[in-house]
Amino acid sequence: MKKMICLLLAVTMLLGLVACDSKKQEEKGQEGFVPALDTSVKSHINVAGGYDNFEALEKEFDRFNEFYPDVELVYTKIDDYNNMVGTVLNGNDAPDIYVNNSWMYGREQYKSAIDHAEDLSDPALGLDLDCIRRNIILKTQDGSLPMVPVFSSTNGMLVNKDLFEKEGLSVPSTYEELVSVCKAFCDKGYKSPVMGFVIKEKTSLYSLMSYPFFCSTVAKDAQAIKKLNALDRSAGEYMRPTLEMMERFLGDGCVDPTACAAIENNYDAVILRFFEGDVPMMICSGDAVSGTRKRESVSEAFTAHPFAYSFVPIPTSKEGAYFLDLPNLQFSVNKESKELAVANEFMRFLITSRELSEMAKNKGLMSPTKDLSFNSMYAAFGDIPESRILSPEEFGLTDDAVTQLRKAVYGFSTGELTMDEAIAGFGTYE
Amino acid sequence: MKRIFIIFVNMIIMAAILSFVVLYSRIASAEAYQRQIEHFENTTVTMERVTENYLEGEQRICDVWARYINNKTMTMEEATEYISASHVLGISSAHLLRLDTLTGLSTRPRQGTTDDYAVSYERVALLEDASWIDEIGKSINITRAYTNPMNGEQSLAFCNKISLYDQGSKSFVDAVLLRVIPISELEKKWVFPQTEHENAELAMIDANGDYILKGYSYKNSSFFEFYKSYNQTDTESSAKLFDMITSSTGSVSMQNSHGQECVLAFTPVAATAGWTLLGLVPAEDLNKDTENWLLFGVVSVGLLVLFLSDVFYVLYLNKRLQISAREAESANKAKTDFLSTMSHDIRTPMNAIIGLTTIAEKNLGDTESTRESLRKISLASNHLLTLINDILDISKVESGKLKMSPLTFSLLEMVENLVNMSQPMIKEKQIEFQFRVEQMEKEWLYADQLRLNQIYINILSNAIKYTEPGGSVNVLMREEQSEKPDCIRLTYVVADTGIGMSQEYMTNMYQPFSRQIDSRVNSIQGTGLGLAITKQMVDLFGGTIECQSEQDKGTTFTVALDLSVADRQRDEKRPKTFDVLIVGDDQIMLQAEREGDTPLRYKIQELVGEGATSAEPEDDHSDLRGMRVLVAEDIDINWEIVSNMLQMYGIESERAENGRVCVDMMSKAEEGKYDLIFMDVQMPEMNGLDATKAIRKLENPWAASIPIIAMTADAFSENITECMNAGMNGHIAKPIDLKLVIKEIRRIKDGAALS
Repeated sequence: MKKMICLLLAVTMLLGLVACDSKKQEEKGQEGFVPALDTSVKSHINVAGGYDNFEALEKEFDRFNEFYPDVELVYTKIDDYNNMVGTVLNGNDAPDIYVNNSWMYGREQYKSAIDHAEDLSDPALGLDLDCIRRNIILKTQDGSLPMVPVFSSTNGMLVNKDLFEKEGLSVPSTYEELVSVCKAFCDKGYKSPVMGFVIKEKTSLYSLMSYPFFCSTVAKDAQAIKKLNALDRSAGEYMRPTLEMMERFLGDGCVDPTACAAIENNYDAVILRFFEGDVPMMICSGDAVSGTRKRESVSEAFTAHPFAYSFVPIPTSKEGAYFLDLPNLQFSVNKESKELAVANEFMRFLITSRELSEMAKNKGLMSPTKDLSFNSMYAAFGDIPESRILSPEEFGLTDDAVTQLRKAVYGFSTGELTMDEAIAGFGTYE
Repeated sequence: MKRIFIIFVNMIIMAAILSFVVLYSRIASAEAYQRQIEHFENTTVTMERVTENYLEGEQRICDVWARYINNKTMTMEEATEYISASHVLGISSAHLLRLDTLTGLSTRPRQGTTDDYAVSYERVALLEDASWIDEIGKSINITRAYTNPMNGEQSLAFCNKISLYDQGSKSFVDAVLLRVIPISELEKKWVFPQTEHENAELAMIDANGDYILKGYSYKNSSFFEFYKSYNQTDTESSAKLFDMITSSTGSVSMQNSHGQECVLAFTPVAATAGWTLLGLVPAEDLNKDTENWLLFGVVSVGLLVLFLSDVFYVLYLNKRLQISAREAESANKAKTDFLSTMSHDIRTPMNAIIGLTTIAEKNLGDTESTRESLRKISLASNHLLTLINDILDISKVESGKLKMSPLTFSLLEMVENLVNMSQPMIKEKQIEFQFRVEQMEKEWLYADQLRLNQIYINILSNAIKYTEPGGSVNVLMREEQSEKPDCIRLTYVVADTGIGMSQEYMTNMYQPFSRQIDSRVNSIQGTGLGLAITKQMVDLFGGTIECQSEQDKGTTFTVALDLSVADRQRDEKRPKTFDVLIVGDDQIMLQAEREGDTPLRYKIQELVGEGATSAEPEDDHSDLRGMRVLVAEDIDINWEIVSNMLQMYGIESERAENGRVCVDMMSKAEEGKYDLIFMDVQMPEMNGLDATKAIRKLENPWAASIPIIAMTADAFSENITECMNAGMNGHIAKPIDLKLVIKEIRRIKDGAALS
């Protein structure tokens, strides 16, 4: 009998151990990443960027260290990043991986940042580029891929879901619904159902609202893009539909510019105002959204009365909203890195749907991946059909042309310019 | 139940000891850990002093330059040239910047150029507000880590405000002198002593928690943010903690980005405004004292071994007790069985004796019937006597009380005995008997003759008993060389053509009261003790007994014993080999290997009855008539039996009721009054042994030397030895065998005649 009990216990222990081990194996299998290098490799990888803090990336370092415990990964902030990155890449402290920008393509000033970058489209590197939305993977004219997006950005509006629920309203998905919802809120005593930063032209709610709509009107018109990029004054007419949309919007009583004028900046002030809890919709950029989580504890109002919120596209047409898809941060690998193999291994680890989504969620930014369901904050953008996803860099609209648009829209929306004046001023704004 | 209780108590004691060890270990470990933390704090403070000395040294260089420039009314170019010529730059560089434009000159050219010394801090976000730069010599003015705009290297700069002469405006302009040092160089020097804290890392933070310098484990750009990101805390607690960190020296526990428990030591950098030096080390690095765990492990293993030893020893004792109990139970049962068997075996001849006595009494007038009854009574009595002797023997053997009583004896005499004893039965059953002696060189041996005889007789009598008439019994006695010194190996082989034994019976044949189940065996009288006694005695001699048997074909027993050779040996030559063949009707054949009329041959002839002396008929006892014997016997019936027996042979006898009377009678007797004394041993007042000793001490030589024969129921060999040692001349065991008595009397008489 005793022998039987001992045998039974031993078998149970053995099964337990086997079960634990198989569970561990299963967990490892789920992670998907299989190290390609000797995991005992010792290395020091320096990632350079312009952010003061990059905790989200540091968390990825930690996750990478689970596979490669002896690889030290350090993030270094470079002052005056865009101007200094070339110098840094040529200096003694050249990073192994660095933040890059696709708008630098073709600009002599930033040639060094592009020239130092490894071609990440090389299949030998094993990067899972298919997990990233196609329109924000931007190659150079010669077909190489010096950088891959690790975050994306867009314009949209923060919606107070509790407020909608409280008032029995649904988040609008078309312009008509937006107007209808705003009217309903107004009827319920909300002075400005839609708010945003209006003091300065850059990232003002007018710019953020008009930009996606404008892109939808010119995206498929190569002639228009060409003229707009050339800052041809006659191209100002391409802005008319956008200005008319803004005119309707401002006239429909959705927004109270006076109330919005109290918002001092396009970041902290926007977030904290939204956290007051009485704003149903706050138009802002994706950058501002990334700062919301940290500021929840800073806002006394939100701490006292927390509510559910999310970031949704702005419905500017009767067909619905446009998803302005912009690469926010892109990573390049320094092809002259002394630790190139390990740097590539880290990129292979990072450029996966899971890790990119994880890092974007930690940073509060939108993931560049096709699957946006990982972060409920941005999940609504995943419902936008591909035909309504617009990427200015894909169809070639330059920053200079966009700046002209912003200034024209801002002038018109604030009443400084008439519609015709705003259109006529295209190409002349400084 | 008791065992469980003992195990439980043992486990409680073990648990208590282990708890104590663990508690002690933990206290000792906690104390050691606390000491390590204090040591780490002290190391951090030491590092702060080292850092402070370094910073002061670097700042002093910057101060010297600034004072010189201010005193000399220099332009930017002149000041730059002066610093470049000072040769104390090493790997560092110097930047001179106008505060109004944040542009100026560097002592080193821009990266990738040889003549571009222009430097701009417009985009560095470092000097927009220069109010933090104190007057020269008052404090250490150091920037945060920033990107050197000339070469892109992460650097720190020691600063001083200076005044430079602007030739354009012919006036002095406010400027800043920066002594720029690459952080990579600092990191090489600015580390904890590797021998003490291998994984410890340093950081220096300003009053807002922003890093001035930081090691790899420090995350974020602000230590406070780093702390809040990886440690559970609320706003109030974290504010208190940060206040403590930036204003005092001490240590706290915190988790790093890997969730690892760490110790953070902090101390203000005295020469700076609100800066704090931090040291961060994994807690496990400070808690490496494994000795206590070794102690715990050793104590645990020790206790476990002790416990298991105890348990196994207790189990072993229990098992032994169980075995002993079983043995006792078995012994008890054996005793019961023994008594039961003995009772049965005694009652059987007793029944014959009593029954036949009754029949004899009833038929006193019928002489023939009475004689037949008395003959059968005699047979039953002999069987009863044999049974009693065997029972006593086996009892003594099994109780371990049987002791060897070695004496010097003649092997030839023993052979004589064997032949003599076997002759009647051989003759009766018409069995062919051959006794062959081989290689016999030593006649006199030193051993317990009685027991040896018993072994040989038992085996021989069994062979004769279980051999059908017309069969044969062959005896071989062979002397061989023994491995023991001064010994011979005497091999005794008895082979018969008797009924044999089954293999099943042979496995138990040495068990007491075991008899083969066979109708032929049942008709033969036997106690079932003979072989058991024989085996025990062979074991006592240290010899071996082997048996080969086949049913209906016969049995062969082989006994091999190592026996000591006596000092006394005959000198005469004798045949080494001879045979004795008896084939019924007194036809005796003697064969000898070496012919010749040696004394030994005669002796053998004498033994087997050939030749010389067969003249004396059994019924002629005339030589005994007139002899006078003193019988010391306390029991009346015994006296009556002895006196009557002796009277039958014409021997006169007198009685002494005990030993004292016997001694008295002898001391008073006239010389020649008695020819010998039959002395009982166990008697009141004075026993036979003491009486014999007393007689041997009598003054009268005749009385003192009179032959004394023990006549006692004390029949064991040690009793015989005692008698002989007391001074007696012979021993007759009760019940008395008349033939033996007569034989003994004749031996005494003949001895007296010879002397």
